[in-house]
Amino acid sequence: MNNGCFIYEDTFLSLLNLIHYLLKNAIKPDKIKNTSYSPNLFDEVVHLTILEEKEIFNKVIQLIGSYATRALYYVFLSNEENKELILYYLLLNGQKYKDKILFHRHLRCVSETIRISNYVIHEVHKYKGFVRFQELENHILYAEVEPVNDVLELIAPHFKKRLKNDYWIIKDVRRNRLSLYDKKNYYLVSGHEFSLETTLKSHEEQKVEELWKAFYKTIGIQERKNERCRMNFMPKKYWKYMLEMEDEL
Amino acid sequence: MELKEKLQILADSAKYDASCSSSGSHRKTTHGIGNVAVSGICHSFSSDGRCISLLKILLTNCCIFDCKYCLNRKNNTIKRAIFTPEEICEVTINFYRRNYIEGLFLSSGIVKSPDYTMELLIETLRLLRKKYHFGGYIHAKAIPGASEKLLKELGSLVDRLSANIELPTENGLKLLAPNKDSSKVHKIMQYVKTNQNNQYVPAGQSTQMIIGATKESDLEIMEKSSHLYDTYHLKRVFYSAYIPVNKDSLLPSLEKPPLKRENRLYQADFLLRFYHFKVKDLLNPDNPNFNILVDPKADWALRHLDEFPKEVTTSSYHDLLKIPGIGVKSAKRIIYSRRVFKLCFDDLKKMGVVLKRAKYFITCGGKYFLDSSLFKKEFIEKNLVLEEFIPEKKEFEQLRLFNE
Ligand code: SF4
Repeated sequence: MNNGCFIYEDTFLSLLNLIHYLLKNAIKPDKIKNTSYSPNLFDEVVHLTILEEKEIFNKVIQLIGSYATRALYYVFLSNEENKELILYYLLLNGQKYKDKILFHRHLRCVSETIRISNYVIHEVHKYKGFVRFQELENHILYAEVEPVNDVLELIAPHFKKRLKNDYWIIKDVRRNRLSLYDKKNYYLVSGHEFSLETTLKSHEEQKVEELWKAFYKTIGIQERKNERCRMNFMPKKYWKYMLEMEDEL
Repeated sequence: MELKEKLQILADSAKYDASCSSSGSHRKTTHGIGNVAVSGICHSFSSDGRCISLLKILLTNCCIFDCKYCLNRKNNTIKRAIFTPEEICEVTINFYRRNYIEGLFLSSGIVKSPDYTMELLIETLRLLRKKYHFGGYIHAKAIPGASEKLLKELGSLVDRLSANIELPTENGLKLLAPNKDSSKVHKIMQYVKTNQNNQYVPAGQSTQMIIGATKESDLEIMEKSSHLYDTYHLKRVFYSAYIPVNKDSLLPSLEKPPLKRENRLYQADFLLRFYHFKVKDLLNPDNPNFNILVDPKADWALRHLDEFPKEVTTSSYHDLLKIPGIGVKSAKRIIYSRRVFKLCFDDLKKMGVVLKRAKYFITCGGKYFLDSSLFKKEFIEKNLVLEEFIPEKKEFEQLRLFNE
């Protein structure tokens, strides 16, 4: 069964269970993919029915520590093509290096895990600043984002604390997923289960947006103009949903 | 006057202040709108590449003072405007709810008297905190010369306070800001330092110096900074390259603001605060200005080549920090990693240590990165100067998978 392309059920726990199974049975996978993967001619696709262990999460934490487990989860949320295999090798080496695993940066699976999880954290941080809400007619705040990685669930807690007295919705346009907040909790739902009643803006919205654009234009100092520097910090991929950049797109 | 025009005028007058950071506050909020993020958040970047974190405005650009370098000086004929407290609160809340900003930066020209101006600032911020229940970040300017009672009140409403020292020496100040008195700024700093806690100016205080409007050397500037850090425990000193907005025979006529110099000062400032350097390590009376061609740490290293190359597998943390191109993060990574495996050059790269400049100053496992006969001052200097012109590339290495 070696060298197969192993399929898991799209969740983090299901992936951990699969990796756990592979390690226990000393199977070296060629690929590990989720259910949306379309195999090529040479793939030997293997669907295993594994008894899901709820305890698997704790087991992983016990093995490599909570810090490394968190990094593992960030990699899982990333858009990296071979992320599952990276995690497989990380846990393989984790059996040997235990909670010191992340110090072993000479191992490619470790340096990759760190690089990718940093990238995910970086994107979350950027979005904390770059998300732009619009106030809709019904006073709900609504924002659209298009993150590279699946970071919606990492962004939502930040706004739960910050905008606790507002109803808000953040939509990941790329994945058609939404995060809804009802002044108490936030929920993650698929776009198939939920649609907006209205996308009409509140009557105040236009004025506020104009003020912001005027402020943005004013605050830049002509004599210090530095396009490259701005681009470094705020790459074009974010501009689409940032109203102050509309005129420059 | 329309609100939009006011905002344009009063943001335009405020934009020369360099500080916009929103970090370092641990203030807790329970109800109301907003909170603070310890690490600070940038919400946009302006056309000059600076982080926009706060709604940076003046309460008014009317001013009874006549500082030569300032757009708002009494004798300039410009359009004047003043915000009402409600207007500031509305704009702040509206921007904040839409996640445009992290909070408010409120400064002001001096109207009538320092006390009167402070009272206006306090009234506005009190309204914002108490009536609008705003829990986001606030940075306010303290007005030199205002009473201690008002300073006490203002500090309890904000996260950060600042009073600008403006020019590094008394002479400079006398020349260009004849109405200002540095002792009043020092008094503010002293008061904030003694009273600072979780409720009073929780994110600490900062200040700003204008670079290149007067003749002071980098040495004088850095000595001033160092003194301010030591005496008042400032969180930051900001350096702002002088931009000619007025014509005056006392002002230099610059074609371009001295941005490179400003950059060198920031680099040196970091060396003082995080790398255990002293001003006298970097500059001295014979050598009072930074080398524009290479950064201050590399410049220092070139003058102390006898301490290099340093062996990364054995050097202390302190010594690693002296290596050009090695920052606090890289130094820590090296220390942790070398405890668990034997480092080689390739590992350094995998760890994200940037070798661009560091490679000239290190050995790894006894090996020099280049041909060891090249370890010469002229060669290294020439290459470092060249490297400055090559923009840093963000490396996203191609995944070479594990079967290798
Ligand atoms: S006090 Fe001086 S620097 Fe401040 S606004 Fe007035 S003229 Fe400008």
